[in-house]
Amino acid sequence: MSELAVEVKNLTKVFATGLLKQYVVAVDNLSFDVKAGEVYGLIGPNGSGKSTTMKVVLGLMAPSKGSAKVFGLDSGDIRARNEIGFLPENPYFYKHLSGAETLKFYGKLCGLKGSELKDRIGYLLDLVGLEEAADRRLGGYSKGMLQRIGLAQTLIQNPRLVILDEPTAGVDPVGSRQIRDLILRLREDGFTVFLCSHLLEQVQEVCDRVGIIFKGRMRREGQLDELISVEDQHAMTLEGASPELIEKIHALVEEEKGAKLIESGHPRTTLERLFISIAGDKEKGEKS
Amino acid sequence: MSIVLQKVPRTILVLIGLILFGLIRTPFEDNARKGLVDSGMLLPPPGLSAMDQLSQSALMGTLGGLRSLVATYLVLEAYEHFSNKDWEELRNTYNVVVALEPYDESHWVSATWHLGINATANMELDEKLPKFERDRRFKEYAFQGIEFAERGMEQLPESYAIPVQMAEIYREKLEDNCATARVYKNAMDLPGAPGYLRRFYGYFLANCPGSEQEAYDHLIGLYREGRHQHKATLIKEIKNLEKKLDIPWSLRISDPDPDVESMKRRNRPESLPGGLSLPQ
Amino acid sequence: MSEESSEKSLRAPAKAVPLFSFARVWTIASSTVTQLVRMKTFYFLLAFALIIVGIGNFNIPATPAKELSMIKKVAFGTMDLFAWLFAIISTALLIPRDQEDRTLYTILSKPVRRIEYLFGKLFGVLAVVATSLVAMFVICAIMIYSRETLYVSAEIQAMEANAQYTPEEMQAQVELIRQQGLRPELTVAVLASFLKASVVAAVTIFISTFASSSLFTIIISILVFLIGHAHSLLSNYWTTQTDNIFVIQAVKVIKVIIPNFQLFSFSEGIVQGAPIIAAVLWQMVGLTGGYLIVYVLLSLLVFVDKEF
Repeated sequence: MSELAVEVKNLTKVFATGLLKQYVVAVDNLSFDVKAGEVYGLIGPNGSGKSTTMKVVLGLMAPSKGSAKVFGLDSGDIRARNEIGFLPENPYFYKHLSGAETLKFYGKLCGLKGSELKDRIGYLLDLVGLEEAADRRLGGYSKGMLQRIGLAQTLIQNPRLVILDEPTAGVDPVGSRQIRDLILRLREDGFTVFLCSHLLEQVQEVCDRVGIIFKGRMRREGQLDELISVEDQHAMTLEGASPELIEKIHALVEEEKGAKLIESGHPRTTLERLFISIAGDKEKGEKS
Repeated sequence: MSIVLQKVPRTILVLIGLILFGLIRTPFEDNARKGLVDSGMLLPPPGLSAMDQLSQSALMGTLGGLRSLVATYLVLEAYEHFSNKDWEELRNTYNVVVALEPYDESHWVSATWHLGINATANMELDEKLPKFERDRRFKEYAFQGIEFAERGMEQLPESYAIPVQMAEIYREKLEDNCATARVYKNAMDLPGAPGYLRRFYGYFLANCPGSEQEAYDHLIGLYREGRHQHKATLIKEIKNLEKKLDIPWSLRISDPDPDVESMKRRNRPESLPGGLSLPQ
Repeated sequence: MSEESSEKSLRAPAKAVPLFSFARVWTIASSTVTQLVRMKTFYFLLAFALIIVGIGNFNIPATPAKELSMIKKVAFGTMDLFAWLFAIISTALLIPRDQEDRTLYTILSKPVRRIEYLFGKLFGVLAVVATSLVAMFVICAIMIYSRETLYVSAEIQAMEANAQYTPEEMQAQVELIRQQGLRPELTVAVLASFLKASVVAAVTIFISTFASSSLFTIIISILVFLIGHAHSLLSNYWTTQTDNIFVIQAVKVIKVIIPNFQLFSFSEGIVQGAPIIAAVLWQMVGLTGGYLIVYVLLSLLVFVDKEF
């Protein structure tokens, strides 16, 4: 049995709101595991309990009931947090620090020091392409640069588990594609990735497994192919087929008892793919 | 412990913590306060009357731990009252000042000086008031100055400057030689008191009816201390007393009469420190 | 992507981290100092210097010794005021701002204990307050010393012109002025102001853990500070003015709950020349330490459950 990076068991989180202490159940008896080395996506609409679950795993919130463990350690234990690199939805850092100082600050908090810290900062600045802006204060960074320094900060202590909160929210499709590539590279490098998102499309391309959460409860969980494949249907995409061949196929289907052709026509790309190919063509044209 | 943290609301725990700490620290703080107040490092709380007189901003300043700042500001304000010859306001202001900084000797001396010397002098000169009113206020201010000095002496029993200022009122304004002598006597043995106070006590006692013998004993004692005490005024006063008390010739001092000598040398007699004149 | 091999292999566990680390407290404290410095908080020293120059040019109607004493009192009083006000404002800007900007979110998701964060912030503020106090003291010292030198030379000139004073008498007069001038004991007055500002900072951190904004923290802290100066007034004045049992009990509760800031105003006495009793001074240092520890622990009690 492979090691568990995240282990959430019967997690319930109740918030008391207002002066009259009305209780709201944000997460209701939720259980799931994230295996070491996999990319796990927790998906669901806004307000479904994803962020609360993530904050419990990060140790920023205590569970009302149940437990959350990271590599076997209780999520409230600071040793568990040393295994986690966390990239929030919007990176929140001190604006008065430069990029390099930000990484130094977070590195020191993780116990790094001396040449080890210095090398790590240099490596990460290079990785996210911010060597040039290393000494500029974060107050002068663009949103994209902040996202990149945020990512560098996430990886500063070389953690085993990377938690990403809505990693592509508010990012343009090109940036979104880069982040997806990055997640895949993280998996290649042996990181465990746990991400939360309300955008199903991005999740389906990178996640090994997903959990669908709604109103604080796990509705479906499993491997993506299993979840989205329709067992009693079969799709076929043809290229260069003549109208005669199409006719023949129609006739064969009609001959078969119980079989029915549901859809036939030209396949469509996703709007996102279309945009990226147009943007890519435009860039090539400009360069030539 | 963790069960307590989970079950008891945080507000209650924080309150319990605050109360416990409050109860534990109170005896420590009382002890520290005593040490601080006794050494003069911490000023005692201002009196009730002073609190009533403080303006709102001065009260806030006082509560904000800025008593010295407020007191200094009020001293400057008092100087304004002095410039405007507004003696009632001056007295009220100094009442607050000494309540805020009771250990500052200069406040007591200044208040005594302003009321006992300046305010009374102003009454001697103020032509706008009828004579009777001026005389009445003259006495009133003189006694207000004395009253300030008495309060100061009670607060700072080691201070010689306050009784010296008080003696000046008795001497210059009320012309009460007996009271002047009594005050000098109180001041002359205090720590740091200048040597002339012992002579002054003798000079004014010599002019206090019924105290001549006591004055003679005191002055002759000073005379016998050595040449450094043989000031012209001292010799003159001893000579006067020898005559008054009919001291036998054999016991009289041999120095010549300084007045006669000065007539001879056409020299001026010794003047008292600060250019003071001697009582008649 | 990484310096590790590209073939898929799981990553090694993280290095062990200590459960409590002074290094992390130090990291947060030094970052707080950088933050306060870069927020240009030290500009207030410029304002202070201007005030001190203004005070130095006061023309007070008094003898030189008295005038010097008044200048000294006002200068040190202003220094004390700046110290505690600075402690409140800078502390109030730190934690609530970290919450508002959600910087706390990223800090606490690293292996940092909340108590380390609180101590780090407190020590950072104290370091800046201490530095400011030293700078303010230097400004005051320069002003007082220059006035003192001026007065002494003027007095010597006047006495020499009069030609009737012995060298001993002249020395005594100079000593009278020097006593009101720059004396080594004044450094203890600076320490007293620092102790007061430290307690104020600890109380402000406590308030900021449950306050919703910086402004709210500042207002409540100043209010607590003012009430904290009324301890003896409360017992001497209000309780003697009323028979109302409710008022008397309320006063008792306030005295137990609100810190006694009046006790920390002993820099005034030192500036006025009161003798410094080492034992009492140590008592106050101990009491300050007690306040710091208890208030950070109380802050933790609120802060540990805080969810971001």
